[in-house]
Amino acid sequence: MKPLLKLTDVNSYYGKIHALNNINIEIYEGEIVALLGSNGAGKSTTLKTISSIIRPKSGQIEWNGKNIVGVPPHKIVESGIIHIPEGRRIFSGLTIIENLELGAFTFRKDKKWIKEGIERSFDLFPRLKERSKQLAGTLSGGEQQMLAISRGLMGNPKLLMLDEPSMGLAPIIVQEIMRIIKEINEQGTTILLIEQNAKAALRLANRGYLIEIGNIVMHDSAEVLREDDKIIKAYLGA
Amino acid sequence: MEIFFQVLIDGLVIGAFYSLIALGYTMVYGIIKLLNFAHGDLYMIGAFVGFTLLSLFTGDGGVNTGILGLGVVFIGTMIIVGFLGMGIERIAYRPLLLAPRLSILITAIGVSLSLEYSSMIGWGASYKVYPIKLPNDGIQLLGTQISFAQMGMIVLSALLMLGLRLFIDKTIYGKAMRAIALDQTACSLMGVNVHRIIALTFFIGAFLAAGAGIMSGIYYGTINFLMGFTIGLKAFTAAVLGGIGNITGAMLGGLVLGILEAFGTFYMGGSWKDVLAFGILILFLVFKPTGILGAKEMERM
Ligand SMILES: Nc1ncnc2c1ncn2[C@@H]1O[C@H](COP(=O)(O)OP(=O)(O)OP(=O)(O)O)[C@@H](O)[C@H]1O
Ligand SMILES: [Mg+2]
Repeated sequence: MKPLLKLTDVNSYYGKIHALNNINIEIYEGEIVALLGSNGAGKSTTLKTISSIIRPKSGQIEWNGKNIVGVPPHKIVESGIIHIPEGRRIFSGLTIIENLELGAFTFRKDKKWIKEGIERSFDLFPRLKERSKQLAGTLSGGEQQMLAISRGLMGNPKLLMLDEPSMGLAPIIVQEIMRIIKEINEQGTTILLIEQNAKAALRLANRGYLIEIGNIVMHDSAEVLREDDKIIKAYLGA
Repeated sequence: MEIFFQVLIDGLVIGAFYSLIALGYTMVYGIIKLLNFAHGDLYMIGAFVGFTLLSLFTGDGGVNTGILGLGVVFIGTMIIVGFLGMGIERIAYRPLLLAPRLSILITAIGVSLSLEYSSMIGWGASYKVYPIKLPNDGIQLLGTQISFAQMGMIVLSALLMLGLRLFIDKTIYGKAMRAIALDQTACSLMGVNVHRIIALTFFIGAFLAAGAGIMSGIYYGTINFLMGFTIGLKAFTAAVLGGIGNITGAMLGGLVLGILEAFGTFYMGGSWKDVLAFGILILFLVFKPTGILGAKEMERM
């Protein structure tokens, strides 16, 4: 089977800072893949490189067999890769509904899709429904994350990339978010998940990659990573 | 009392011009934080393109252009100048999007001078008499004579502003504009072609300024290649007055400024007009830089 997304020897920089060093990652259709690593390791940079927010200096990113390096971000979204960025980045001065509508920007001519998408979001997160006309900035952190996920789904992703969706949330909300991610995956969306909470991530994922100062230092199935001494010590808390 | 309403109507008409121009200032500032000091010149170009179209339209210099012909001239001019605004963004500002603020501000001044002096070369340096004469008749209202021309201008301006407000609030492109003002990167991640939406913003700003340009040509009767300079600063004042970045604020700021100016001129004499306007600008910049509608509303375009 061919990978859905394949990064080959990708190098990304911020000015002189070499943030990704010959990164190789493969993601197959239907998987949940976890990307683990400590602060500043290069996790977010990996997602930003895939979604074309930053352009890699060298290397290849193949999506369905086609090289997508240099394709502008809005085209990447159109092609089915959706990146829910770190810190949620919801539009605080717009209403919940408007946020969702913007999530469906690439489907802006398809009124039916937008209407159904909004209903689906509200089924997934009933709390958003009660607040649908409120400005998104008035939502709690957990609700904002729910909105960010729903907004991402409005673009009909084949691959959904989530950057620390559980950051700063209470354990019970984290559980709910993880359950939803699982559900999204079961409905056919491939997932690339960044998590500080490695325990939760490896419970959910099929496979995982470990990144340290810009290098992929380990990749294996989630079962193996869960038992690995190094991972246990550094990320799972002994 | 008659005088009062006469002055008020005059202030409303001029205020409407300020509002229409202030909108372009405020939208561009809202979306890319650029003070487009060339914006007043798009109003001037609007007046001149309208002048040329009117002259072409009827061999006799446009005097007998009907309401339909006038409509065509308005729409044609506004679209042409709209594309000019878009072209300016593409050529002068987009390459500098990541450059320091100061470079782009200086570029805006350069663009302003280029527009002014190419208009001078194209249309000449002297005052041009606008090739249209609207009938003076109108109606009596509250003891004041209001001409159909004045009413037409107030109504047209109101319609344009209402249309804009609906566009910004209700269409997906308007929502994208407000979203870009908040977070450009997040917009790209939603599949929004950010450059396109910025270009659209420039188009709309120039479109509205051009409408004001033709109206002022008709209203004052003469136009000149430097006419955009002072009014550009006035419109900037109006935008600051209403809260820069805020659409409703720009509409309100323009009207307030126009009316204050009209009364100031009436009671203190015409030579104090600009002093009054720029005095207001300075007071607001010092004491309430967020404008009438305040900081909270600033987030929303
Ligand atoms: N905009 C930027 N400009 C300069 N350097 C940056 C920028 N963003 C990230 N970096 C640097 O690149 C490296 C990788 O950062 P990245 O954000 O990818 O880390 P991360 O693994 O997502 O960390 P965290 O868990 O804290 O989110 C870090 O050394 C960081 O300081
Ligand atoms: Mg990160």
